[in-house]
Amino acid sequence: MPPITTRPLFCRYLAQCRMMAVSMENFIKHTKVQVAKISPDLTESVAKEELQQSCDNFFRENIYLAGKSITEKAVERVVDGDTILIYKKSQLILHILLEAKARNKNFRVMVVDSRPDLSGVQSCERLTAAGIPCSYVYINSCTYVMKKVTKVMLAADALLANGYVLGPVGTALIGLISSTYNKPVIVCCETYKFSERVQTDSILYNELADPDSMLKTLNEEDTPVSNWRDCPNTRLVNLVYDTTPPALVSIVITEIAELPCTSAPVVLRRGAVKM
Amino acid sequence: YQRRVRVGMERYVEEFERKKNNNKDTPIAILAIQVLNDFVSKSDVGTLQQLLEQLKELSTQLKATAGTSNTSVVSGCDLFVRFITLSRGQNDPSSEDILECKGFDRVRKFLMDRGDTFLERLRKSRQKIAQLAYPFITDGVTVLTVNVSRVVLQLLVKAHQKSKKFKVLVTQSEEGPLMVKELNAQGIQATQILDASIGYVMERVSFVLVGAVGVVENGGLINKIGTYPVAVMARSLNKPFYVAVESFKFYRNYPLSQLDLPNDARYEDPEEKNHPEVDFTPPKYINKLFTDLGVLTPSAVSDELMKLYI
Repeated sequence: MPPITTRPLFCRYLAQCRMMAVSMENFIKHTKVQVAKISPDLTESVAKEELQQSCDNFFRENIYLAGKSITEKAVERVVDGDTILIYKKSQLILHILLEAKARNKNFRVMVVDSRPDLSGVQSCERLTAAGIPCSYVYINSCTYVMKKVTKVMLAADALLANGYVLGPVGTALIGLISSTYNKPVIVCCETYKFSERVQTDSILYNELADPDSMLKTLNEEDTPVSNWRDCPNTRLVNLVYDTTPPALVSIVITEIAELPCTSAPVVLRRGAVKM
Repeated sequence: YQRRVRVGMERYVEEFERKKNNNKDTPIAILAIQVLNDFVSKSDVGTLQQLLEQLKELSTQLKATAGTSNTSVVSGCDLFVRFITLSRGQNDPSSEDILECKGFDRVRKFLMDRGDTFLERLRKSRQKIAQLAYPFITDGVTVLTVNVSRVVLQLLVKAHQKSKKFKVLVTQSEEGPLMVKELNAQGIQATQILDASIGYVMERVSFVLVGAVGVVENGGLINKIGTYPVAVMARSLNKPFYVAVESFKFYRNYPLSQLDLPNDARYEDPEEKNHPEVDFTPPKYINKLFTDLGVLTPSAVSDELMKLYI
C-alpha cells in the first residue's frame, strides 16, 4: 500500500483509529472505487448519502449475509456427539454453535483461551447461557484435552494468497496440535478477508498490542517485570496475529464455497469480493 | 401430475437398468447421461423450469438404482444439466444463444445439441486420459493398481501399444482377477497379489496407479475399499500415487473423515449397512490426477469445480 500521507483522508482517519489490518484493505479498495464513481454534479449531501449507502451495502453483503451463509454450511458439519474445540472468542463461530444448538444438535464445546485478553471467558458465558455444555482450558493444556475433541473450529482474521491463515496468536499452535492428533480443522472466513498478501511466517507482518496488559495476572500482584520500561534489556512483546500453514487446515468455509486452503488464490482471481 | 410424471419416468429407469446390464464397459455415468439426453428429446413439457425439475427427479431415481457407483451418476447428471443450460457454447461464440430461442421447441433442440456435444466429449474422455498419461509409464517400471478400473486398463493398454515394457501388480480386492485376465489378454505381464501383501511388494513398485469412483472437492479420492491403505503405504515409502479419472466424476462433496461419506455411497444396501464398499483417501496422499482436463494436482480439483459450478 502507498505511504500513509498520500492515501485519501478517510484512510488516514481509519489508520489513526486502528492500525491498518489486512481485512480492512478490501473495504478501503471498495470505498475508493465508490468515491471515484460518484458523479461530480451531485450535491454534497446526496453524495454523502450514496457513500453511506454503499458502506451499508458492503457490510450487509460481505459481513452480515456472508456470516449467515457460512453458518448454514458450517452447521451441517456439527453432528450429534461432537466435542468441538474453539479458540477464544469469535462472533462467527459462536453464531454457528448457537445455531447448531437451536437445531437441537447434541454436542459439547471445549473453549481454549489464552492471555492476556482472556476473551474465551465471554465465549463460555454465551455458550452456557444457551445450554451448551462447555469446558474451559488455557492453551497450555491444549495437548491434554485434544484426545477428547472430535472437531476444531477456528475463525480467521485473514486468508492470504498462498493459503496461509492469519488468525489470533495461538491459532497456529491449535492447528498444529489438532493435525498431530488427526482432528479436522475447520476455518470459517468471509471472502472480504481474503488478501493478496503473501507471507509464510508471523514476523513479516504483525501487530503489537498493549504490552502492559501482559502484566495483569490472576492474583493482581506486582509481577517481577512491572518496571520493565526501566530495564534496557527487557521488552514485552504482545503479538496479535500468527500464521497457520495450509497443510494444517482441513477445510475453509466461505459464503461462496467450501474450499481447501490452497484454493484461496482461485477466489481472489475470480474477484469474488464484491466491489 | 406428479404421479403421471413419475410413472413416465419408470420407463427411463428400466432403460437405464437394461443399458447397465448390456454395457459393462461403459462408465455408468455415461449411461445415465444417455438416458437423460433421451428424456430431454422425448419430454413433452412446455417450460425450461419444468424440464430441469423433471431432470432432477429422474437423476435421483437413476442414482437410487446405481448401487455404490452413484457418486459418479450424481456428479455426471449434475454436470449434464449444467452443461446443457449454459447460455452460450464455451468455445463457439457464433453458436446460438439459448436466451434468443423463440418457442420451447427451439430451446429443446438447443438442449439436445448441447447434450449430444457433452456425450461426445465424455465418450472421448478415456482416450484423452490414455493419451495424456501414457508417457508416465516408462520402460522397466512396475505399476501397482487396486481392483479393476477400465480407465487404468485403457491407459496401460495404450502404453503397451507404444511398445513400453512394464509389469503390473494387481491387488485382489473384489475383482482383481478380472483385471489380471484383461491385462494378460492384451499381452501385458500382470500378477495378482493379496491385499495383505502390499507392504511386502511396495519397495519394488515404481508407482501406484488407480482409478476412481469419485473425486471430491478437496482433491480426495473415493475408490473401492482397500485404496486408502495402499496410498498410506505408498506415501510412507515415497512412491508416487496417481489417479486416472474422468472429469465427470468430480463430486461436490467435502468429506473430512471416512464417516463423512454419504451412506448410499458407502454401502450396497444403506438400510443393512454391511461392510462398506468404498473408502476415502485424503488429498495429501495423492500426487497427481490424470483427467481429460489435463494432469492436475489435488488442489486444482477445487479450482475446476468452482469453474463449473460458481
